[in-house]
Amino acid sequence: MSSQIQTVAQGLSLGRIARRPETGSLIGFVVVFAFFAVLGGPVFMGAPGWSSWLNIAAEVGIIALPVGLLMISGEFDISVGSVVPAASMMTAMLAGHYDLPALVAITGGLCVGLIIGLVNGLLVTRTTIPSLIVTIGVMFAVMGLTLGFAVLIRGSTSVSYVPDPLTKALLGQFINGMFSVSILWWLGIVAAFFYVLHISPIGNWIFAIGGDRESARNAGIPTGQVTIGLFMASGFCAAFVGVTQVMTYQQAQVAGGQSFIFNSIMCVVIGGVLLTGGAGSIIGILLGTMTFAVVNQGVFFAALDPNIGSIIVGALLLAAVLSNDTFRTLALRAAAKKS
Amino acid sequence: MKLSNILVAAATAAVVGTTSMAADIFVVGGKPDDPFWSRVKKGAEDAGRVAEAQGGSVTWLGPQNYDNLGPDAAELIRQAIDQGADAIVGPNWVPEAMDPAFQAVVDAGIPLVIYNAGGIEAADRLGAMNYVGAVDYKSGYAGGEYLAKAGHTNGACVNTLPGAANIEAFCNGFNDGMSDNSGTGSVLQLPATAFGDSTAVAQAVRAHLLQNPDINAMFAIGDQDTNATISGIQQAGKTGSVHVCGMNFNDSILANIQSGTQACAIDQQGYQQGFFAVSILNNHVMYGTTIPTREILTGPGVVDASNVDLVIAGVEAGAR
Repeated sequence: MSSQIQTVAQGLSLGRIARRPETGSLIGFVVVFAFFAVLGGPVFMGAPGWSSWLNIAAEVGIIALPVGLLMISGEFDISVGSVVPAASMMTAMLAGHYDLPALVAITGGLCVGLIIGLVNGLLVTRTTIPSLIVTIGVMFAVMGLTLGFAVLIRGSTSVSYVPDPLTKALLGQFINGMFSVSILWWLGIVAAFFYVLHISPIGNWIFAIGGDRESARNAGIPTGQVTIGLFMASGFCAAFVGVTQVMTYQQAQVAGGQSFIFNSIMCVVIGGVLLTGGAGSIIGILLGTMTFAVVNQGVFFAALDPNIGSIIVGALLLAAVLSNDTFRTLALRAAAKKS
Repeated sequence: MKLSNILVAAATAAVVGTTSMAADIFVVGGKPDDPFWSRVKKGAEDAGRVAEAQGGSVTWLGPQNYDNLGPDAAELIRQAIDQGADAIVGPNWVPEAMDPAFQAVVDAGIPLVIYNAGGIEAADRLGAMNYVGAVDYKSGYAGGEYLAKAGHTNGACVNTLPGAANIEAFCNGFNDGMSDNSGTGSVLQLPATAFGDSTAVAQAVRAHLLQNPDINAMFAIGDQDTNATISGIQQAGKTGSVHVCGMNFNDSILANIQSGTQACAIDQQGYQQGFFAVSILNNHVMYGTTIPTREILTGPGVVDASNVDLVIAGVEAGAR
């Protein structure tokens, strides 16, 4: 359905631009950025300000991309909230407690994400339980396992680890003392997901599954494999963030990561992804993430009460859903006229 | 194993309690595998060696988990009474659930010391002999005082859980510790979405420091927030000019203090809580002595470069 919208909406006329699914998110971003640029002043507009919100955007953005793809295909993944600490705990445990090489520890951490994603995917595709419930269940199980193993092995709820210079440079460094290397990883992952969703055939499968899973399966799309793959991608990306956190902050904690659940969903929805699946774009998710991060950091530069930031994010979320509906109606009307 | 321990202790209590003048002291506390409570337990057991040498005993009663803390702990207090305790130590975690059980201890004429939580107010209300523990406000105060006396007089307290009473107490203490030593304190309030997210905390700290270049001291509550605060300071390019103290410590915090990226850590010294609560009661049961000083404070203890090596040795011994 929405793939039609996209082919229809190509071109540069104003009406067509207005009908692109990202338009709402772009307007949101520009308004929010201008607002904080005025209030935040030169510090916010300078490198410190940019790096400040980009660092936030990179972390939540890496998780928001696969979460967005899952939502386009009509599924939720709540378990990312516990994959982040589980993966960072695994990495810190392997490297900091057992003194294994960093590469082994990182692989171990990432595997935690892949395995949790696989379990999510299998449960969602093999049973009739909705993914929201499956991933909430898995999240709690993983949370318990992380805490249990940490206390059992380490006798403590945190493990510290000082990475070697190369690992630190690749995963936990601040370029120029400001810009987190995660920003570069994020851009790379954006490119990869852009290819998957908008260039490779898998992208159309994802849209089709989100539009109507039954028809998609009847059309010969391997819906089960795509869904499992998406859950594994989301586990992997959440685990990746967990690993970079260990390298950046040099310790892992059993708790934490919960904020990523709602924050990632918020980025995705502000970015124009349809909650019921079938519509959305990588550029939209990118813009949604940037908007979210600008609001979150902007409040500190604008010297506003941070709670105002939460209010703005909440308002943006509602505005995004409303405007998505408006833009979709516009697009559908335009498409109907043509045919 | 735990049950058998309790049974053995009960049997010993029954036998010893009737035959000689020795103190069988029951200590209600956290899970023994909880890192903080394992240190409290060690303190209680170390003090218990004196009791044991006199024919007495110290028995640790801890809940299996913290899911139903108030009622579970109240049940443990009643168990201690039933097992013929000569003296009882307990934390007043959930007054609503635990006060009736503590009342039963006092009504039975068993000497009681409240420790770890509740403060001297709880001890007074319940008729306990004393309170042994730390006070959040004073811990924050110690952080503010330490930094202000070191000449870092413009401080900000990082609050990642606005509205939580204990965090507010830490921050109020920090601000008062600053202003009583000719400094000024403020609170950096974070939105609720930042809780537990080190990157969000680090970026907020950094933005706050860039917007408020006069700040040269920070206070954070807990290991994770302290590490994130240090990262925020580094990213703001303020390492060396903004000094940090934090509540509690772990390996990485101690390493930070050794390397100088963190000025101090404030500790409530759990070992002392177990040690002194048991000692006070053992001496009271054996010899009728009292400690007229009300409210025995075990914290704040300050860990900084001057004593960090000793603290690391204490960590290895399981006492810190």
